[in-house]
Amino acid sequence: MARLGFDQVNVGDEIPALSKVVKREEVKAYADASGDQNPLHQDDNFARSVGFPGIIAHGMFTMAHLVKAVTDWAGDPGALKRMKVQFRAVVFMDETIVARGRVESVDPETRRARLSVWVEVDRAGERQLPIKNSEAEVELK
Amino acid sequence: MPLNQSLKGKEYPEVAFTVERDQVLQFADAVSEDAAPFRDPEGAKAAGYPEQVAPPTFVTKVQILSSAQVVTDQELGLNYMMVVHGEQEFEWGRPVVVGDELRATPRIADIYAKGRHEYLVIEAELKDASGETVGISRSTLISRGTAER
Repeated sequence: MARLGFDQVNVGDEIPALSKVVKREEVKAYADASGDQNPLHQDDNFARSVGFPGIIAHGMFTMAHLVKAVTDWAGDPGALKRMKVQFRAVVFMDETIVARGRVESVDPETRRARLSVWVEVDRAGERQLPIKNSEAEVELK
Repeated sequence: MPLNQSLKGKEYPEVAFTVERDQVLQFADAVSEDAAPFRDPEGAKAAGYPEQVAPPTFVTKVQILSSAQVVTDQELGLNYMMVVHGEQEFEWGRPVVVGDELRATPRIADIYAKGRHEYLVIEAELKDASGETVGISRSTLISRGTAER
């Protein structure tokens, strides 16, 4: 892994889309690794009692996938300086989440690129955005 | 029941957290981070880091520990069953690595109502043993339907 250089990045560039099928055992593993044991992410009966058809993934699980898409593109986990996300739709088990991003501006002074970032899910032919109107800042070499 | 707005600005006791290797591996596995710096110290050193690197959102662990004090504060009046995570922001000063001794002091940065919902913003600054800021977390929790009408 080597960090992307400032000259390799242009406004309008899209980062490679990163897809993942969300599996129940991964969400359980995330609950254990993060310490967020909210039953909404593990217990279908509980999820139904609060109005969902079944358990949903942690918002932070989806954010972690988006972070991976950005740092894989940037070539270095330390390149990511800031990310702000809005959670706007839930993610159910066995759905495919797709993380995407686009370079919106670059600053030669700070050698930073600002990206718009989002996560899509196709649900019954309709595009949902579990993460939308969100942004990331990456420091380039 | 609306939230207690007078707690805006309240600070909570510091939370201390030592970053262990098995926690970093467990977290990297859970978020499918297979890049070398996350897997072992050698992979991290080859990439220029002093120790095995934690995935960027590993700081979520510290954020959960520190905000637990806020959401369970009886004076706040939050019903956690009504809460959804609305927004999350992280700023990273440097990557967290194995062996880091982190400290976080959570505070209620804001409480406000918009429509039927209330918004609780919890901010925590993470510092290492030398006092350097490693990161900042801002979580916005939505308390559904609790705003005064």
